[in-house]
Amino acid sequence: MTEHLQSNVSQDLVWEICRSNNAFLVKRKSGGGSHFSRDPLNLMNKHSRKYAGFVNNKAVGIHAAEKGGVSLTTKKTKHLNRPAANKNEVSWSGQKSGPKIYRGIVNYTAKQGYRADLRQEAVARASAIRQSQKPKKEDPESKLRGSKAKKAEEKAT
Amino acid sequence: MATRPTVTIASHDGTPSGSTHPLPTVFKAPIRPDIVQTVHAGMAKNKRQPYAVSEKAGHQTSAESWGTGRAVARIPRVSGGGTHRAGQAAFGNMCRSGRMFAPTKVWRKWHQKINLGQKRFATTSALAASSVPSLLLARGHQISTVPEVPLVIASKAFEGAAIAKTSAALKLLTAVGAGPDVSKVRASRKLRAGKGKLRGRRHRQRRGPLIVYHPEEDGKELVHAFRNIPGVETSSVFSLNLLQLAPGGHLGRFIVWTSSAFAALDEIYGSTTTPSALKKDFLLPSNVIHNADISRLINSSEVQAVVRPAKGEAKTKRAGVQKKNPLRNKQVLLRMNPYAKAFSEEKLGSKKLEDGKPERAAESFAKILHED
Repeated sequence: MTEHLQSNVSQDLVWEICRSNNAFLVKRKSGGGSHFSRDPLNLMNKHSRKYAGFVNNKAVGIHAAEKGGVSLTTKKTKHLNRPAANKNEVSWSGQKSGPKIYRGIVNYTAKQGYRADLRQEAVARASAIRQSQKPKKEDPESKLRGSKAKKAEEKAT
Repeated sequence: MATRPTVTIASHDGTPSGSTHPLPTVFKAPIRPDIVQTVHAGMAKNKRQPYAVSEKAGHQTSAESWGTGRAVARIPRVSGGGTHRAGQAAFGNMCRSGRMFAPTKVWRKWHQKINLGQKRFATTSALAASSVPSLLLARGHQISTVPEVPLVIASKAFEGAAIAKTSAALKLLTAVGAGPDVSKVRASRKLRAGKGKLRGRRHRQRRGPLIVYHPEEDGKELVHAFRNIPGVETSSVFSLNLLQLAPGGHLGRFIVWTSSAFAALDEIYGSTTTPSALKKDFLLPSNVIHNADISRLINSSEVQAVVRPAKGEAKTKRAGVQKKNPLRNKQVLLRMNPYAKAFSEEKLGSKKLEDGKPERAAESFAKILHED
């Protein structure tokens, strides 16, 4: 049941209509005219057919949850014209180990018939989110060397 | 499709009212952004006010050319003396306080004629696009709380001028899940850059939902109720406007229908075979292909059953791979020269000649060779 309400619409048509301009697209002249996407269901934040979550019926999105957790959003294909009810959300707390979260993500997506070539991207995004949520280690205080060290020693004595 | 899809009708508090309505045929019209864009571009031009520079601008001087022989350019020069202006060049577009190049005229062609057939095509196309959630999202509408697209509210909610106050209208919009879209518009209101501020276009803001109603059954009080909510527009179902259905020529406006307006669509637009009751000589445009999902068609068992198997072996073109040096990379070498294996295994490269080195010619040979 991956059908639109009408037969005159398809994912490819929607993409052709929206690829030149849409609300999620971020076009910049810097970086060689880079095109990014602000779509929450875009795993790479990249403007492309494969990652465009608003176009694809089976889209996957990964976001930071509260307290160091990760949450996974998937688009349901059953009722495409019911935006309020066609999303699934799963979240893992920050206490869960990384591999457990990644296994969960794979079990919910690639193994459930979501695009298998998004598996690695989904795990990578979850991993990056976890990395970003970790408290940053502070750099150790730099040791004085040379004449400065000598002076400091003299002062101390 | 065997059954005609139906749309749930929401009651005034957003819950399903229990009744449904079959999807009007106009939503199956072909979605053609090219037609919508050109028609929109034409229609947007039809509300312009003529403007032009003054007819006299740059010509209010009695300048005349000095002719040749005075070692200055032959451009007209202001006559007289006693002021700096005298002797300065005038009239030309390159002159200070001269006229502009090709002064604008009020009789410019401001308006565009658009064929009625094209206008109707564009309208039906925009209507069809308004029922696709992906296109609504791509336009930037916040529809994550909307229970269903197209969103139809029972006309009962509007009965007896129930929605005559803005507070009631706002409550209704929030109840049916259009709240985030309205608040997005409210937050988007910004002061316009440039002179437009002085010309009645002080602010710019996004567009929110379009409320489409049936003027006879829903009454017109709701227009007053909705008109002070920023970004929300109302339109009678009998006079839908492409400028509202596809603002900026972008398909996928979020439309909130009253159930009576939704029910009137089939009568207004007819179908591809039954002519419209209200539009003269109008049949809905039909799709070139019945099923737009080409990949589904290709992968269908009916098509797959009759296509011949692919010829040749699977071959992937490797783009952007690093070139390997066959002298260092054994596998690449073997691909180019299969004999290299036997050559190296038998150590042919370092093998002595079978009969040893050829014997040196006798000394007499060289002597005879060099004889004079």
